Amino acid sequence: MQMDSQYIMGVFDEEDALLTAFRKMKEEGLEIEDVFTPYPVHEILENHGRKSKLTIVGWFYGFFASLGVLAFLIYTAGIDWPLNYGGKPSNAFPSFIVITIILTIFSITILSLFTFSWRANLWPSNKKPIFHEGATDDKFVILVNKEKTDAGKATSVMKKTGAIEVIEAKPNQ
Amino acid sequence: MYNTEIRGPLILGNKSLGQITTDIASPLYARPKFWWIVGLGISSIMMLLGFWAIYVTISTGIGTWGVNNTVGWGWAIINFVWWIGIGHAGTAFSIFLLILRQEWRSSINRAAEAMTVVAVGCAAIFPALHMGRIWDAFFILPYPNTRGPLWVNYNSPLFWDFIAISAYLLISASFWYLGMIPDFATIRDNAKSKVKQAVYGFFAMGWRGSVGEWKRYEGLSYILGGIAAVLVVSVHSIVSTDFAVSVEPGWHTTLFPPYFVVGAIFSGFAMVMTLMIILRKIYKLEDYVTNAHLDKVAKILMFVSLIMGTAYLTEIFVAWYSGNEYEIFTFFHNRITGEFTKQFWAMFIFNAIVPQLMWFKKIRSNLLIVFIISILINVGMWFERFNIVVTSLSKNYLPSAWASYSPTFVEVSVYLGTLGIFIFGVLLFFKYIPMIAISEVKAVNRYQLKKKK
Repeated sequence: MQMDSQYIMGVFDEEDALLTAFRKMKEEGLEIEDVFTPYPVHEILENHGRKSKLTIVGWFYGFFASLGVLAFLIYTAGIDWPLNYGGKPSNAFPSFIVITIILTIFSITILSLFTFSWRANLWPSNKKPIFHEGATDDKFVILVNKEKTDAGKATSVMKKTGAIEVIEAKPNQ
Repeated sequence: MYNTEIRGPLILGNKSLGQITTDIASPLYARPKFWWIVGLGISSIMMLLGFWAIYVTISTGIGTWGVNNTVGWGWAIINFVWWIGIGHAGTAFSIFLLILRQEWRSSINRAAEAMTVVAVGCAAIFPALHMGRIWDAFFILPYPNTRGPLWVNYNSPLFWDFIAISAYLLISASFWYLGMIPDFATIRDNAKSKVKQAVYGFFAMGWRGSVGEWKRYEGLSYILGGIAAVLVVSVHSIVSTDFAVSVEPGWHTTLFPPYFVVGAIFSGFAMVMTLMIILRKIYKLEDYVTNAHLDKVAKILMFVSLIMGTAYLTEIFVAWYSGNEYEIFTFFHNRITGEFTKQFWAMFIFNAIVPQLMWFKKIRSNLLIVFIISILINVGMWFERFNIVVTSLSKNYLPSAWASYSPTFVEVSVYLGTLGIFIFGVLLFFKYIPMIAISEVKAVNRYQLKKKK
């Protein structure tokens, strides 16, 4: 990536100003590359980009994990090596439910952690370009790709709606 | 959503976003204080004592403990259940209050979760040692092996316990870590020293607060929150089945799962109270952990104490009402009166009666008294586990098998060792991790300011 000239960013001091700029830019049809905020701003999460499907995927992890665990229990205890304890049935379905629930939770946790790490592009020692160091502290940043949209217009919109500065985005890595 | 005017602000002092970061992150940059180093030293000595005791237990055997054929479960199981109970606070705090949309949790949940992770780690030591031959501990895993293939018994509460504790440790640690990722990124971007930038940068995993990251962050916290809510109830229910599935007098009762879960939340919240009173005082975080926060925790403690009292009375009533002579003996001649009277009444007074003082606002707002009560609750909860484990076992059906029990020095040392691990862990948490969830507090603060406009 040619980092030097590809992006510009508008830096905001307040969430309200950020939201005004965000709405205005959507109205004018200006494309926003990304928004960096110190805490989740729900209006932006709902209106920028696709919805995350992580929760739906998580449900399917749970569904298949529960079937898998139950099948494993029935196979090992009922088919592979049935044990006789006190003449009780070796395929003791009701008491298998406890393990099924807990191991399902266990599997959902591990699988969705890895999915999160992969989809959100986060893993230990990962370094992504940081455009503005204040974005994790007290600044809100809108990033605009010059090649995809009219940079001059975006600059003026952001300035009008209360950006404290609109500058060339130079990430430090 | 939190939108009543009655409760007052959650964060005092009209903080700006930058101020919140500075307030919470400043202990991380400051040089360690004298008391902190002393605390670390004392807890290290306790840990060393614990490691020595663990070494003796493993190299010589369980014979170094005071347990015998009759009282097979001594301090190890008491302390295991006690620690697991304390370890329920974090999840109870984060998850139940997340589901109930209680915004005030965000000032406390980080510390509560830290406590959870350390306490569950401490708890796991005891059953591992109690197995006797720790080098054979992997036998509990269901894997195709050369002994059969002999699979484990899926109907045994002891196996359920192993699975539940492992799952609980995994999920509470990952929930805790997930919440810390944005805060680690804040430290990475704010820290002056190169070492801090590198270390926190490593753990921040490249977080930038972008839209895609926040979306998936929220998605994952809903998933983990939803399933951990199930887990927090089931873990201690499973611990209670360790007891309830057997036919010992005083154990074989359907009351046990709710009784244990509520007891766990009780002791956990008491430990949270103890910790938060210390933490806000030392680090001057009174604007974030306000008196109103502690008042809410105190009210929860008071209410849960009522449930505990009801559970104790129910147990006694059912023992009498069943007409079963062994149950009557255990409760009326072995607990309320008899050899273990002191422990029974310590449990009853500390858990069911003393917290009721908090009905009075004067007492609730006197933090010294609240602090003492919260410690008494944890002492009381320890005696509750003592009552359950030791009184039932020492005198059951056959008088010829009756035996008494007192712990040896090694047993006590293992317990002191886990206390050392807990204090050590909490001190490291104070120093190296933002004690309050910075990003969550910012969101709560912003919501408050908006309402004012």
